[in-house]
Amino acid sequence: MKFKTLAQVSAIAAITGLGLPAFAQQTVTWWDFFAGGDGVRMKGLIDQFNAEHDDIQIEATTLEWGVPFYTKIRTSAAVGRGPDLMTYHLSRMPLGLSEGVLTPITAEDLEAGGIAEGDFFAGALDSAKGPDGQLYAVPFDIHSIVLYYNKSYLEGTRFLDDDGNLTGISSVADFEEALAAAKENGAESPVTYATGDDGGVFRVFYTLLSQQGGTLISDAGEVLPGDSAEKAVKAVEIMTKWHDEGWQPEQALYEASVALFTSGKSAFQLNGVWEVPTMNDLAANGDLGFEWGAVEVPQLMDSQTTWADSHAWAIPVQGDETMDPEKRAAVMQVIGWMEKHAIQWADAGHIPAYKPVAESEEFKVMEPNATYSTLASKATYDPRSEVAGVASPAYDAAQNIISPAIHGYLSAEDAVAQMKGELEGRMK
Amino acid sequence: MSMIRNNRRHKLVAYSLILPFVAIFALVFAYPVIEVIRLSFTDAPLIGSGDWVGLDNYKRLLSDRLFYTSLKNNGYFVLLTVVPTTVIALLIALAVNRLSGRMQALALVLFFTPYVLPVSVVTQIWAWMLDFQFGILQPVLEFFTGKPVPVFKNPFWVMPAVAVVTIWWTNGFNVLLFIAGLRNIPEELYEAAKLDGATSRQLFFRVTWPLLWPVTALVLTLQLILQLKIFDQVYLLSEGGPFNSSYVLLLMVYREAFQLNNGGYAAAISLVLFLIIVVVSVLQFQILRIGGRDK
Repeated sequence: MKFKTLAQVSAIAAITGLGLPAFAQQTVTWWDFFAGGDGVRMKGLIDQFNAEHDDIQIEATTLEWGVPFYTKIRTSAAVGRGPDLMTYHLSRMPLGLSEGVLTPITAEDLEAGGIAEGDFFAGALDSAKGPDGQLYAVPFDIHSIVLYYNKSYLEGTRFLDDDGNLTGISSVADFEEALAAAKENGAESPVTYATGDDGGVFRVFYTLLSQQGGTLISDAGEVLPGDSAEKAVKAVEIMTKWHDEGWQPEQALYEASVALFTSGKSAFQLNGVWEVPTMNDLAANGDLGFEWGAVEVPQLMDSQTTWADSHAWAIPVQGDETMDPEKRAAVMQVIGWMEKHAIQWADAGHIPAYKPVAESEEFKVMEPNATYSTLASKATYDPRSEVAGVASPAYDAAQNIISPAIHGYLSAEDAVAQMKGELEGRMK
Repeated sequence: MSMIRNNRRHKLVAYSLILPFVAIFALVFAYPVIEVIRLSFTDAPLIGSGDWVGLDNYKRLLSDRLFYTSLKNNGYFVLLTVVPTTVIALLIALAVNRLSGRMQALALVLFFTPYVLPVSVVTQIWAWMLDFQFGILQPVLEFFTGKPVPVFKNPFWVMPAVAVVTIWWTNGFNVLLFIAGLRNIPEELYEAAKLDGATSRQLFFRVTWPLLWPVTALVLTLQLILQLKIFDQVYLLSEGGPFNSSYVLLLMVYREAFQLNNGGYAAAISLVLFLIIVVVSVLQFQILRIGGRDK
């Protein structure tokens, strides 16, 4: 037995050509889905980790975000050909648990990584737990949509204060007044978001629904319970009005919607915090040509809340095998290290879920993160359901039903009824 | 005695010759088919086994609105592609057949090239040409409709647009089949008909059309089977939207299996699609054969 292990280890060492010390060397296979500005920061973290550790090396692969990523995880984990460590959306947890691809993260695991449950924001930690209260993932960040603004279109309006910061938006009427003013000042699409894509439409819709106190899917599994359907109709109507008035781009796909803002054609952008590095980089290179800011999405309806999700770390099952304890400890060490260096990830716009970093002085002076980080405590996560979350039927419905509705192909009432029917059908 | 032994050896050789084929056929076709049938009666996830649930998946399918929408869209797509692509291929083949030598080879290459492209390349080309903001075909659409059209986001345009892309992509193969058919018609028949004073119209309807009928029937049947299996173009161009107006059966299979992890239900849908294809294509081929006999 011992001989066999020895032979295996030396064989692996020989194959990977890493030489001595063969015993301690662990290779952690890592899969993520970060391809944008945040992907660059993640690669920086990985390189730094590899440089600092002789005994653990990360072999990272970036796969395509969404359904392709999660499909590959499920099929590869089931046959034991998956990664040792992967990034995971907490909104995806219910489906992940029903698929059985996630391994429980035990107290010993956390200890091996040098972290503890108490280090994390409660909201994120709860979302990382199964219904049994067992932890299945380690939260890494909290990300949300924020309101980016281009100051040049708002100059001379009541929406900039003396310091040049956005002010005076506390209702849909205020926001629409700002959009009209920006249009008058020459903005081609006063507010831009991915009106033709699943994520862009879903996040704005869900934020407007949540701000009215509406529920997409209740914990009991009811779709749009009570008067939530009416509130959903209201949300779709608001988005439709922005289209009818020419305030938002028509059928914009994600890249195009970002380009509208970065090229200075839009006064506002409703998009994820992950575009903050794009803006910072452009501004640093002097390619932006306008002053910008980003704030928590203002209270447009009855209450202050925003859609949010978390990236987390998870260890997939290895087919019928269990992971070698030494390797598992190495994986946890990677997770712990990443958490403690999350300040570099915050540079990608995200709010760290690890409190020692999120409450550090370094983070408090990081802009614009510090301005919008208040959203974390008031955020509304995706419904805890197998049909909600990233790459889910709820996202599909946003593209398939709500997007056509805001472009005038379907009435808001019909769209909401169809969405309800569709999600109920998928839940069977 | 030696005769019998010879005979036996003969059979042995014969079996050993077909054995590789039978083995591969059993492994990659028969076994998966049996597995799909078995799966469709279980609640299995995508990977792993499930519990026997009897006809539950089929009952659910019959009450699933999306199934009927998909079925309707499959039918609509078949209408939009099968006969048009056959007619277009026939016209192109007749025209190409009049050319000779290098020109004919060149024309054939031009029409066949799209067929060589992988589907992802084809859809990328068309997605860019028809792109709402930057597509070079948008001014053309604007000329006819008065405004740019987001073709793959518009419920009325999406299916015809996917059909056009599909016809452009697959037509070359049908042209090839028709050319082969046309070359099989003996030249003497045309000469004899011409001597009897037949017009070119009569030449086509009395000689070409009836003698080409077997090829036409083959093309129609192949197209029917192929177009019922539509998936790639829809998945890559419109993802079934807007509001399911391009949702088709195979997309439903994909979503159920890979997105929602319902292997059993997905197996039931694919089995139903399989049966539909078998029944419809056998029916069509028989009808076409009867139609051909009258000529």
